[in-house]
Amino acid sequence: MANLLSLKRRIRAAQNVSKTTRAMQMIAISKLKKAQNATLSGRPYVEKLSYVAWNLSSRLDYEHTHEYMKKTDGKNKSLVLVFSPDKGLCGGLVTNLIREIINFDSSHPNSLYITFGKKTESVVANLKKELVASFKFGTTLPSFEMVLPIVKIIDEYFLSQKVSNVKIISTSFLSVFSQKPKITSILPVEFPKEQASISSFTLFEPSPEKLLPPLLRHFLEMTIYQQMLESFASEQGARMVAMQNATDNALEIVQDLKLEYNKGRQEKITNEILDIGGAASAFAYEH
Amino acid sequence: MNLLLEIITPEKVVYKDEVNEVIAPTINGEIAILPNHIGLLTQVNPGELIIKKGTTAQYLAITGGFLEVENNKISILADYAVKAQDIEVARATEAKKRAEKIMSEKATDNELRIAQAEMIKAILELKVATKHKRRAI
Repeated sequence: MANLLSLKRRIRAAQNVSKTTRAMQMIAISKLKKAQNATLSGRPYVEKLSYVAWNLSSRLDYEHTHEYMKKTDGKNKSLVLVFSPDKGLCGGLVTNLIREIINFDSSHPNSLYITFGKKTESVVANLKKELVASFKFGTTLPSFEMVLPIVKIIDEYFLSQKVSNVKIISTSFLSVFSQKPKITSILPVEFPKEQASISSFTLFEPSPEKLLPPLLRHFLEMTIYQQMLESFASEQGARMVAMQNATDNALEIVQDLKLEYNKGRQEKITNEILDIGGAASAFAYEH
Repeated sequence: MNLLLEIITPEKVVYKDEVNEVIAPTINGEIAILPNHIGLLTQVNPGELIIKKGTTAQYLAITGGFLEVENNKISILADYAVKAQDIEVARATEAKKRAEKIMSEKATDNELRIAQAEMIKAILELKVATKHKRRAI
């Protein structure tokens, strides 16, 4: 009897788990749709922007380009931005990201970090490296305003030559089912060496020297924002898949337990019938 | 030969079509671009963008960005762009009021800058929308 009761309890527990995970899955799906849209529609913009910036910068001598493009000397220190979710329950995404960070850290011991998202904050803190700032990543679609304080910090460190390059460790959104951690180098801005293949009769108004700084700054902001969107879309995609698996597993367990419970119940009934039958026949025999 | 115009914002591709003429507000004043224009790269100021196609003209409100002309292909990278007929006047008025309120209160630097940007956007939208409607009547 006690066995049956505990089985019943376990069934109910598994059912509750499946309800929770299903709800989380639904939330992830609806967030994913928005995030996916934002991510995919942002890509052509960033591509075009990088093309224009490349085109413009290839016309300027190295001396005349913006500080963002110049290699600063010595030190070889990196400022690393880490984008990760605030919350877990999204499959292997965080684990993969952490592995990437640790790998990176062992090959670039002179790094400073800025983290986004609670999940990697403690990991980076454990590396015993300088943590410049840490932000929350949030659970809604990142807004463009989040980029502004980052760019400010980057300016402070890069332009004063405290670091020689700036990188982002984030997850790139390949598809709903596949996300990969990746390291993107954002500063100094590097473009392909060869000249852009367009006619050399191009006007620049007011002048290339004046156009480049706002263009590069905008490019920097957009690149960071795009990485943020990709990270967010990846998180939702990973969570959706993880929660779907969890729901399936929970339902499977419910099914197994139900089978066991029914077997036990049937067994109990059979035993009772046998008992009654035995007693009845014994009774009949005596008379 | 026609011009191919493409207006891209971070949110979406707002416009992509063949046109005859584009009039855009740039940092050096308003410019009109006709087919076979020389290659050009310039910065766009917030304002009204006019697209002429055949006998019809279309109006867009556009905030800052960059404009590139290359081999009869115009690409405009805008922070924000909206077609006049898509502007929701009520929403823009609302946004303007909200921005005014934030600016009148004591806000942090960051909030103030965002409010200012919102304000410029709303005023621009209203301007383009009313102008466009007058012409349509």
